Amino acid sequence: MSQNHTKMINIQGKEHSYNDHQVVNFNEGLVGFPEMHRAVLIPLAEYVPFCWLASLDNENVRFIVVNPKQVFDSYQPKMESADEAETQTLALVKISSDWRKTTVNLKAPIFINSKTRSAAQVILNDSTYQLAESLPNT
Amino acid sequence: MLVLSRRIGEKIIIGNEIVVEVLSISDGGVRLGIKAPKETSVHRFEVFNEIEIANKAAEIAISEINQSVLENLSAHICTK
Repeated sequence: MSQNHTKMINIQGKEHSYNDHQVVNFNEGLVGFPEMHRAVLIPLAEYVPFCWLASLDNENVRFIVVNPKQVFDSYQPKMESADEAETQTLALVKISSDWRKTTVNLKAPIFINSKTRSAAQVILNDSTYQLAESLPNT
Repeated sequence: MLVLSRRIGEKIIIGNEIVVEVLSISDGGVRLGIKAPKETSVHRFEVFNEIEIANKAAEIAISEINQSVLENLSAHICTK
């Protein structure tokens, strides 16, 4: 039987609903956040294509993520031991109050296996991708 | 910290699967060969440290979020 109850999570003072299929599991945590094992992905419907990545283990740990391919057309990170068709790619966004100074981490994307929902942050060896890439045309 | 002395060609094993071999030594530098399972990530410490700092900065930067920033970002990306 599939259990797909709607749950609620508070992010930045606002309640969001989510289902189990939005939960991802970081077996090794995120780099610098080894205790973050479960997190939920919540699209910011009004601000496409951004999503919240909110830890379910620590209510203070929240990130903004984006599918980097939607922002950088040519982004093509090399996935070792992963099937590209089944992998969802996300990148952490560092927001700046001056929006033009917002950057995206292309050096260490998050790969999510769409079937198993297991996720990992991978550090690419490719030196063309930067830790703090500026948005195109800013 | 465990400290071991090794010569060129000698190895150490970490856990049951990770093997580190001293390949060569020159000018104060050491070349290491590392054999580890695919799912074990191996990086130069500085690189790992940089990512850690970047992740923490991204998490802290959440406090800079406001409606106008998100509106501008979304509009910029969707119309590019």
